[in-house]
Formats: sequence, structure tokens, C-alpha cells
Amino acid sequence: MNVLIVDDEAPARDRLRQLLEDGGEHVVVGEAGNGREALELAGKLNPDVVLLDIRMPGLDGVETAHHLNSFDTPPAVVFTTAYDEYAIDAFDANAIGYVLKPVRKERLDKALAQAARLGHNVLGEVAKQSGIAEQRQHVCARLQGELKLIPVNEVHYFLADQKYVCVAHKNGRDLIDDSLKSLEDEFADTFVRIHRAALIAVSSIGSLQKTEDGRTRVQLRDPGQDNNNDDGDGDDLFISRRHLTDVKRRLRKG
Amino acid sequence: MTSAPEVDVKQTQAYLPDFCAAGTVLVILLVAELVAIVLTLAAYVPGTFLTELAKMSMYVLWLALLGDAALCLIRPWAEKQGHTQAFVICFVVLAVVCLVLAELSYQLTGIFAEAVIINDSHGGFLLRTFAISTIVIALAMRYLYISSEWRRTIQLEAQSRISALQAMIRPHFLFNTMNTIASLTRSDPQQAEEAVEDLADLMRANLGVQKDRTTLKEELEVAAIYQRIEKLRLGDRLRVRWDVAELPMRALIPSLTIQPLLENAIYHGIELLPDGGEVKVSGKRVGDNLEISMTNPVATDQRRKKSGNKMAVSNILQRFELAYGHRATVDVRESETEYSVWLKFPCDETGA
Repeated sequence: MNVLIVDDEAPARDRLRQLLEDGGEHVVVGEAGNGREALELAGKLNPDVVLLDIRMPGLDGVETAHHLNSFDTPPAVVFTTAYDEYAIDAFDANAIGYVLKPVRKERLDKALAQAARLGHNVLGEVAKQSGIAEQRQHVCARLQGELKLIPVNEVHYFLADQKYVCVAHKNGRDLIDDSLKSLEDEFADTFVRIHRAALIAVSSIGSLQKTEDGRTRVQLRDPGQDNNNDDGDGDDLFISRRHLTDVKRRLRKG
Repeated sequence: MTSAPEVDVKQTQAYLPDFCAAGTVLVILLVAELVAIVLTLAAYVPGTFLTELAKMSMYVLWLALLGDAALCLIRPWAEKQGHTQAFVICFVVLAVVCLVLAELSYQLTGIFAEAVIINDSHGGFLLRTFAISTIVIALAMRYLYISSEWRRTIQLEAQSRISALQAMIRPHFLFNTMNTIASLTRSDPQQAEEAVEDLADLMRANLGVQKDRTTLKEELEVAAIYQRIEKLRLGDRLRVRWDVAELPMRALIPSLTIQPLLENAIYHGIELLPDGGEVKVSGKRVGDNLEISMTNPVATDQRRKKSGNKMAVSNILQRFELAYGHRATVDVRESETEYSVWLKFPCDETGA
């Protein structure tokens, strides 16, 4: 199997490489020092398995696994960790492969043998149970096979199209695979639903305007953003009657 | 090796207050005078209150002061007999002292006083004195017993917190270090050897410490060992600037203060930054105080708030309070990009 090693600590990467090379059955195709690098390399090298450290700066292991899943042929994932009581319970419960540091050769072989391709829902479950990161800090867009990470705190709103969800953010707009419902559940504390197909960051709402026909429209805090899309027309962010009281309540809360 | 632990040991063993100290004598005088007032008021006869109070005060103060003197003499010995025994001994001694003095007073007034001061039979007088004094003494002893129990509980609690903290090197750190050593064993055996030695020293400092305070020199050495181990793991991501040359190295500091703070700075700060960062430790002497601060950068997008940080700081705060009372402060300053802990405490140097 082709293996990609991801760990922010050089000695930990060395150790895994030593063990894998000892066995001879596996080939280490690359090493990455953080989640971002891992996603890039995984896209280029197409590994069968990614050995992922859980505690890493920036993108942690669980979030990286999330994004790896959005690949067309997602690699299998084995987590490595020194000590994460809660995560380990969650892994056991969801039959996810993991190895504990210091890594043992037999344990590594076993984990590689049972490495699994993980579904989003399984990872969501793990994140919730382990309390590592209940929310992702990025959403992942794909442009012609390239992976693009958009920090959630730069997102203004999500707009559901027929098939995809469009993300309007500080630096433009992109399409992502997540469903609006799952985004709403995941980011419930910072985003609010304004109508059936739109989810907006509470912090992006500048003001609410009443239009002549009696509807309520969201004016974004950063108005330049509206005209960012290439076709020039900004989205009309109307609040449906059903969601109006909820939006107002969220705005009062700040 | 320092004088400080002996002081603490003495404090934990002291059940009885220091009866020879001026403060204690003053409190005893006040209580005795209050008792005299109560007794005089109880037997109030119109027109004679002040003269009665004067006589009563003289008698009660005489009993109280001589009783205190007796306790002052026997305290070191009584203290050695054990907690409850010490109080029983004091009670008995005081009761005997009161009885003897009552007899003495009766005889003396019989010889010198022209007016009858004690208008009671011999036996009646002795009995009254004995009854009143035993009741008052019993109440006082009960009060002292309870307050000493209370002090002891507090100290035990503090002590147990110290040991809990001392055992609290993060398992994360231990396993990561083992993994690093396993890796180095092949690639760089010499460094692996040094890492094992460092880890052993660090564990010894963490597990073996019985003393509450240590010298700054030793405390900084433990922190430096810790830094060396973490450096193997984190490489160039970890930078620490020590600006502590001004500190008197013989000064005392509660043990395991700097190292846990450094551990926090790394675990909650440096480790979560892709490019790492610099931990700044600076210390200086300001008058009779020492000021030490530890500052680390924090990741701005870091949303996982862990409680571990606050726990270590509040633990240090408790130990500083125990060691210095209100003379020490532990402050946390937090901004978007930085986290820092500021310690200010009196500079006590070792006698040696």
C-alpha cells in the first residue's frame, strides 16, 4: 500500500517511516507536517492510506480527514495519537483504525490492514464524542480537482443551488458538496437560516430592510461583497416570514 | 536544604496557640475582663457595680495571667503528647492552677484584707471558682480545638493539591517523549541517551519533591530540562527567550511553578501554531519582590478552549497564597494573539 505520513513532529514521522520501511510491504509516498500540506500531497500522490496525527496546528487530524473524504477516491485513514482518551473511545465505538504512540510495529500493521474509508457522518460522530473539534474551521471547495479551504469565519453566507451549495466568502464564491442542513447543524452557533435555501453568518448581517412589497431583506455588513460574483448581480437575501422572528432573536443576542 | 520547609512543618504541628506571645496574652486579658464583667453584672447590686467590677477583675485577671504563664511553660511538652492529649493536658493544668490560686486568694484576703472581700464560706468559694473557671476553660479549649482542626484541614487540602499537581505531568507529554526517544534510538542514539537522562531528571523533579519551596536556580534548571525534551519534538517551532539573569538564583519559589507554566505555554500556544513561536520568560527584582512573567503566542483561529490552562494557573495561585498570603499575586493577561501569566512574590533568600 502507498502510505502518506502526516504529523507535525519530525521524530514522530521518522518513527513511522522506519517501521513501515522495516516491514517492506508498504511504500511511504510522502510526508506532510500539517493538515493543509497533507491535503495538497494527498491530491497529488493519491495514497491508499493516510496516517494522520490528531493533534496538529491549524487543521487538526479529524478535520483533515473530513476534507480528505471529499476526494473523488478518498484515501483510507488511520489516526495516530499519543493520548486522547475521548477520541479513542470514539474510534473504538465507530471501528476507526488508530495507533497509539509510541507506535508498535504489530499494532501499525493491524491498523493498516483494517484502515477504512470514513464517511462524513462517522467523523462527525467522532468529533462530537471526542470533543476534539466539534466544528470544522474550514469548508472545502473543489476547483478542477484542486482543493480549496475556506475558513468558516470568512464565510458570509451559504446558498443552496439545485445540486451544490454556494459559499459566499471574503474572497469570492465557491461551490461545496456539503448539504445546507448539515452546515446548519454544524455551525448553529454562528449561522442562522433566513429562508429555505440560505444560511447566513450572524456577524455578516449589517441591517434588516423592509422592501415596498412588505418583505424583509438582509443588508450585509460588508456591502462590497454583494457585487463580488462575476455576473454582477448580488443575491437577494430575503428573510422568509417563517424565519423572521428567529433571525431577529439571534441579532439581539449579538 | 532550605529553612522554609521546617517552618511549615512547625506550623502543621502547632495545635496550641503560642501562649507566650504578646498577642495571645492580650486576647486572654480581654476575654478575662469580659468574663469579669459578665460575672459582676450577673450579681448586680445597685450602687456597687464599679467596686464589685474592680474586685472581680483583679481576681479573674490574676487567674487568667497565671494560667497563661503555666501554659506558656508547659506548651512545648504538651504539644509533643499529640493533638487531643495537648488540649486535655492544658484543660487539667488550668483547672488545677485555678483551684490552687483560689485557695491562695482565700488565705491572702484572710490575712491582709480589713474589709471582707470574699463573703462566702471557704468551701463554697473554692467550689464556685472551680465551677466557673472550668466552664470558661472548657469553652476556650473547645474553641481552640476546633480552630486548630480547621487550620489543619486547610493545610492538608493545600498539601494534597500540591501533590496532585506534582503528579500532573501530562500523559500526552510522556507518551510523545517516549515516541521521540523510540525514533531517536535508531537515527541518533546519542541524543536518545540524553533524552532518556533528561526525562529521568524531570520525572524525579516531578515525583520526588516533598519540599514546598525550592531555589530559583533549581526551578529554572527543571524548566530548562523540560525545554530540551520538547525541543527534540518540536524542533525550530519552539523558541524560548530566557530573560532571567537579574533574578537572585538563591531566592525561593514554590516548587514546580516555572516548568508547568512553560508546559502550558507550549501545549496551548506553540503546539497549535504551524510555524511555532517564541515563549518569553522574564524576571526581575522590584524592591523586596520578584516579578516573573511568561508570555506565549496563541493561534488566532483556535476555537478549542481547554480548561487545562486555567487549572494549572489556579493551582499555582493557591500554592502562592499558601506560601505568601496576600503578599503574592498571580495575574493572567490574555489578548487575541498572546497569553501571559505574571507572578509577583516576596523575595526570600536561603539562609545557607
